[in-house]
Amino acid sequence: MATSPQRAIELALAAIKRYERPDLEQRLHQARARLADDQVRLLVVGEFKQGKSMLVNGLVGAPVCPVSDDVATAVPTVVRHAETPVVTLVRAEGRTEVPLEELPRFAAEEGNPGNRERLLHVEVGLPRPLLAEGLVLVDTPGVGGLSSVHGAATMAALPSADAVLLVSDCSQEYTAPELEFLKQAMAVCPNVACVLTKTDLYPEWRSIADRDRQHLADAGIKAEVFTVSSTLRWHALQTGDQEVNTESGYPPLVTYLRKKVVAQADLLARRSTLHDVLTVIGQVVDSLRAEQTAQENPESVQQLIRELTEAEQRAAGLKERSARWQQTLSDGVADLNADVDYDLRDRMREIVREAEDALLAGDPQKIWDQFSVWAQQAVTSAVSANSVWATQRARWLAKKVAEHFDSDREQMLPALRVGTSDPLRSVPELAVRESDKFGIGSRLLTGLRGGYGGLLMFGLIGSVIGLTLINPISVGAALLLGGKGIVDERKRITTKRQNDCKVALRKYVDDVSFHAGKDSRDMLRGLQRDLRDHFTTLAEQLKRSLTESIQAAQKSVKASHGDRDARLAEIKTELAALERVVKQVTA
Amino acid sequence: MITDEVRRVLLTAIDLYPQASEVLRRQLVRLDEPLRVAIAGKVKAGKSTLLNALVGEEIAPTDAGECTKVVTWYRDGPSPRIVQFPQGKSLPVVRRDGALEIALDGPADRLVVDWPSQSLRSTTLIDTPGIASLTTANSLRTTHFLSPEDSPSEADAVIYLMRHLHSADANFLESFRDQGVARATAINTVAVISRADEIGGGRVDAMISARGIAGRYRADSSLQGLCQNVVAVAGLLAFAGRSLRQNDFMALTALAALPREELESSLLSADRFVDGSVERRALLNRFGVFGIRLAVTLIRQGVTEPSALAAELVARSGLLELQKVLHTQFGERRHLLKARSALLALDGVLRAAGDSRLTGAVERILAGTHEFTELRLLSALRSGAVKVPDAELASRLLGDEGAHPLVRLGLPRGSGPGEVGQAAFAALQRWQRHAENPMLTRRSADACRVLVRTCEGLLTREGARPPR
Ligand SMILES: Nc1nc2c(ncn2[C@@H]2O[C@H](COP(=O)(O)OP(=O)(O)OP(=O)(O)O)[C@@H](O)[C@H]2O)c(=O)[nH]1
Ligand SMILES: Nc1nc2c(ncn2[C@@H]2O[C@H](COP(=O)(O)OP(=O)(O)OP(=O)(O)O)[C@@H](O)[C@H]2O)c(=O)[nH]1
Ligand SMILES: [Mg+2]
Ligand SMILES: [Mg+2]
Repeated sequence: MATSPQRAIELALAAIKRYERPDLEQRLHQARARLADDQVRLLVVGEFKQGKSMLVNGLVGAPVCPVSDDVATAVPTVVRHAETPVVTLVRAEGRTEVPLEELPRFAAEEGNPGNRERLLHVEVGLPRPLLAEGLVLVDTPGVGGLSSVHGAATMAALPSADAVLLVSDCSQEYTAPELEFLKQAMAVCPNVACVLTKTDLYPEWRSIADRDRQHLADAGIKAEVFTVSSTLRWHALQTGDQEVNTESGYPPLVTYLRKKVVAQADLLARRSTLHDVLTVIGQVVDSLRAEQTAQENPESVQQLIRELTEAEQRAAGLKERSARWQQTLSDGVADLNADVDYDLRDRMREIVREAEDALLAGDPQKIWDQFSVWAQQAVTSAVSANSVWATQRARWLAKKVAEHFDSDREQMLPALRVGTSDPLRSVPELAVRESDKFGIGSRLLTGLRGGYGGLLMFGLIGSVIGLTLINPISVGAALLLGGKGIVDERKRITTKRQNDCKVALRKYVDDVSFHAGKDSRDMLRGLQRDLRDHFTTLAEQLKRSLTESIQAAQKSVKASHGDRDARLAEIKTELAALERVVKQVTA
Repeated sequence: MITDEVRRVLLTAIDLYPQASEVLRRQLVRLDEPLRVAIAGKVKAGKSTLLNALVGEEIAPTDAGECTKVVTWYRDGPSPRIVQFPQGKSLPVVRRDGALEIALDGPADRLVVDWPSQSLRSTTLIDTPGIASLTTANSLRTTHFLSPEDSPSEADAVIYLMRHLHSADANFLESFRDQGVARATAINTVAVISRADEIGGGRVDAMISARGIAGRYRADSSLQGLCQNVVAVAGLLAFAGRSLRQNDFMALTALAALPREELESSLLSADRFVDGSVERRALLNRFGVFGIRLAVTLIRQGVTEPSALAAELVARSGLLELQKVLHTQFGERRHLLKARSALLALDGVLRAAGDSRLTGAVERILAGTHEFTELRLLSALRSGAVKVPDAELASRLLGDEGAHPLVRLGLPRGSGPGEVGQAAFAALQRWQRHAENPMLTRRSADACRVLVRTCEGLLTREGARPPR
């Protein structure tokens, strides 16, 4: 049995206690805090009415997500562990707790049509073993419906997910839009599994599942496929019938979530904790070894002190702006800012161009309703694509910075380290992971609302421009035979409308661009700050370790022969003790 | 009669534009043929199954996997015959278990099936491959067939199937509308919520739920401009009902006689129900989980005759409602829809020729035919482009629920000429009053005048006696 990450931290804390290094202890405390609230976010996505909500309910064994025959889920519902059941509404302005039975009123389309409550998401806390292991299930509104604003929000939430379940029912094989969505999802969150629901309803479910596997293989997608029936699961939960439970197909899915999703995330957590533990102990060991070398060969102490001092200066240099990782970071963020901004502008330009073509093609009055819906959808998906892309690039940047920091540090250390180069470099995940992980999605939506005034204007123009000047007969004929018999008067009105519409469209696009641009700049600024703080702290710790080594070496110069032997013996025991800890945690 | 006027202008056009004579002659022939109704929708929406239900025979192949690959015409004919195009090759007519089996011989772009059937006498039904398919070529065939870029559409009207309104559906309906005929296409499209029994997860009350959803879509403004009506239909159930056999009935009766607990436990899932039995598998394929649950419930409630069960299944499937809608929206407007198709084709020819000699004649037909005016107003009301007071009465008066005077006036069946006259006169006065209301916009007032004209028509109809 490997030592648990929590235990490893305890051991390390105990082992370094005597060295009085609050900075290193702090680092271990932080690692422990991260472990404590480390959660695995599993996003349940798919086209609407495929049985997503019922799947979540089946997994937690409680009717938390509203299920209905008509479009149901209006806002993402986050289901996580809590000692007692609790429902919290999360808005941009803050969080409010509501009684349990109020949940459908907020999470479902029926009580909250088009999310008029303006919720970012709803949180449900439940005492369940699966959730207590750190799993957080997120039920999302279906994508693909007419209001594909939902879909864009789901896309935007993807980068923050640890794993994704794509839900589709067994009534038919995958359609083109579904596979398209899956491909996009894989690009941002590779840990995807496919769930085929409603096996109870379709005698042909096995052949549908085979076809779907084939489609996945053809598309080069490696994902496990699970076939389930939530109705059977529900029946089993209520009657306790084990046989029905087996038939429901849930057990393998639950095992997958435990073994592959939660355990995988655990593995990551273990790795980064181990990394912290080993680095902390490594620094203490380094100091001790430096002292050991000094005590053993008093004649070369001066040489050693020189080396250490140089190293210390270099460590101090790591904190400077001129350090390579700092350069990478600031250049990277600047580039990223420019790229993301350019990308957004480019996408918007494209939309404006297409929209103006459409407007110029005829009388905007006639296509107005569809047009404004289209414009809103196009703009939303452009913003979400842009933010997904920005997040991807930001992650990549974080990794680069970490690499540069590590290699700088390695070059700098004097040769006395024995096999302590860290095999498990991990990027500090907290850099991109915000405290409220729905950050990007929610900002996207607020961004849109910011631009809502523009949309309202759209609606207004429709009614302000009168219809009175047009004779119904001639318009009717024109409608039936497309653009025939347009009189000059109408042309004039049309041109005016076209211009009004163009202005409204541009204003809307500008509004949204402004908000979206600000959001992504804020995101990058946050990223920059987080990364800088993180690595600067690491550099400080390193510097302090080196300072301690130097002091120890200097002390040894003055020591007497007897003291020296006694100290050497001590160092030996202490090193042995630390090595035992290392062995224990890496076992 | 509008058909005659259109025929006349087509004949003139044939003389004027010999280069387009083939296209125009085809339109001429088409005027005398049955109405062409295409059945379209996303893959596996249940198009072929619904076609079978409408015909009452299993002539369109269906399957759980992607199935219909070419546009297939089903028309009435003296004897069964299948011809594959572009080769023009006859294919063997093979039936297995009552189902027609079509084995394509080489690449095909169109199949024409002649089938002697009462249901096909006045309408030719066209089955199409599903859109949004992973096999893009199949989907493209349908899109091209229904909204070709260079030629008029072959179909006069469309039944559009959707399981839930997906953005792909809306795009499709919209592209169909966009093709130069603007909003007016809403008049020849009826939307169907298909496989409606599955919406409620196959529960016994599933159809009620599905009807509720259809009602919501009907009221949804984004759909109103796209189609005439929305109906929920369980095609599989409808077909099973229409073709119910004695042995099906016996098998269902035997099921109904099982102890309640045993039956409930076996109806929990398809797998449990089949349990290795070939007969049960066949029964399930024909009825679906919902169909079996419903049939057994009905038998338990005392249905003892196969014919009574069949009738009940068909009624609950929503097929009758669909047939009624098809009758009022398409059947009664057959001539109008065909004339419209022909005028569209002619318009294409005129545009291509860049010639305006016949434009006036076409405009005259369009503007002069009161039924066209009614249709245009109807779709303008639906899409909200025009508003009038008492909009529901107006739609009904314009023939939204049926062209018969009694229906238009909202009178009970069997009302006499005196009552018709009275109601028509009252309506006339109502719309005259509205037309003169200075608060109305000019457009709304014009719309009211169209309604006045409709009332006048009703009054001058044979037999209607205006009150003194
Ligand atoms: N028979 C059967 N019905 C199911 C199953 N899962 C879901 N359903 C039904 O399918 C319908 C949709 O289920 P939901 O869970 O609301 O689907 P959803 O994907 O969350 O829907 P939206 O949130 O509206 O996108 C409901 O009528 C459910 O009863 C299943 O495993 N078997
Ligand atoms: N439960 C139920 N199943 C249906 C219904 N209609 C069709 N099905 C099933 O759905 C599947 C597909 O039906 P088809 O009629 O082949 O669908 P389609 O739209 O013609 O399919 P493509 O031509 O391949 O696009 C078959 O397995 C049918 O049995 C229905 O009303 N209820
Ligand atoms: Mg849901
Ligand atoms: Mg088919």
